[in-house]
Amino acid sequence: MSEYAVDHAAAFEVADDLDAINRLYREKHWSDGLPIVPPTAARIDRMLSHSLRARHDIVANVAPGFGAATVERIAINAVMAGCDPEYLPVLIAATEAVADPEFNLQGIQATTNPVAVWLVLNGPVSRKLQVNATFNCIGQGSWANATLGRAMRLILQNIGGAQPGEMDRATHGQPGKFTFCCAENEESHPWQPLHVERGYAATDSTVTVVGAEGTMNMNTHAKYADELARVIAETMVHPPSNEYVHGGEPWFILGSEHAEIFRREGWDKARVKRELWERSKMAVKHLSAKEIDRARASRTSELGELSEDTLLPISPAAEDVQLIVAGGPGTHSVYVPCFGNSRAVTRRIEGYRD
Amino acid sequence: MCSTAFQTLGRAQARALGNSALPIAVIPHPFGGRSREDVRKLAEQCIDDVVKLLTGEKT
Repeated sequence: MSEYAVDHAAAFEVADDLDAINRLYREKHWSDGLPIVPPTAARIDRMLSHSLRARHDIVANVAPGFGAATVERIAINAVMAGCDPEYLPVLIAATEAVADPEFNLQGIQATTNPVAVWLVLNGPVSRKLQVNATFNCIGQGSWANATLGRAMRLILQNIGGAQPGEMDRATHGQPGKFTFCCAENEESHPWQPLHVERGYAATDSTVTVVGAEGTMNMNTHAKYADELARVIAETMVHPPSNEYVHGGEPWFILGSEHAEIFRREGWDKARVKRELWERSKMAVKHLSAKEIDRARASRTSELGELSEDTLLPISPAAEDVQLIVAGGPGTHSVYVPCFGNSRAVTRRIEGYRD
Repeated sequence: MCSTAFQTLGRAQARALGNSALPIAVIPHPFGGRSREDVRKLAEQCIDDVVKLLTGEKT
């Protein structure tokens, strides 16, 4: 049953002057540092017309401030980010997803780690909304990618209360904290797409939230599955990693040319995951002494006593390695190391209207 | 209980959760780079205050 918020978003009057409005948002720390689209009553209503849920319905309480993310408040932040009104159901699903305890939003929002929330869209809605899954899909230039990711950040900051330097304690942060969103390229895909792998129908539309520490490009002209797996696995191995310390969930955006190499040699997705997991094991001795202590605290129950020569897997199981296929033509794939103490969460995008 | 660098977070979170008067034990930052010996000294300095916080005794 839905829960309704009793305190509604405050309305205020301000001169009809974009510069003055942005000065106000800047002073109040309601922006991400870039100018916003003023969330006027008319724009909010237009956005809300694309939700089947009631205006004051609480979608989730967003850590660490535990502000009530009502449909209205999500819509306000979506307007500010420049979203088209049709995008609202995606953000409602994404807000539900980040609040799932598996995601550990409290940790993600308040940590010193640079972790950003990456949105991955699957299914027909991502194509209808033209969420880019090909050229430059995590770069600039696509309205849906740019504004959806930005709206997610504004929701996390304004409703969740994660203001940098206050409750957001990121030491450096990363550019992905402005916006980080793409779709999976389901048309140029040798295996099941992500949402089908996670139990949804191919005709469902979903958003998956990932606690992404950054992106590491891998440009390799490797021609064979074995050498491609080897160089990707060697990229994963880095001692100052939350994932090796805690047992994480590393993500990959495979370019379709690299995915095709695996397909051509008959490697299915499970095989790729297993090979990367096995080949990226790292001897404990590569960690600093402090990290060895932390890994012992985190992983002894999973792996038993850790000696200097114990081979640490990056995640508890090979299935924890996550792959999507996206990007344009080229010999590139992207390693997305993750926060470690988090698991990606997928939600169906409900109530999308054509 | 937190180090000085996280005091703002602790205070803001206590406020957000409706307990702005929550007592918080604060130790000097940075913490991660200290030797075990230094950490022990710090722990000895603040243990009485932490016990008082946990037992509800006034510090």
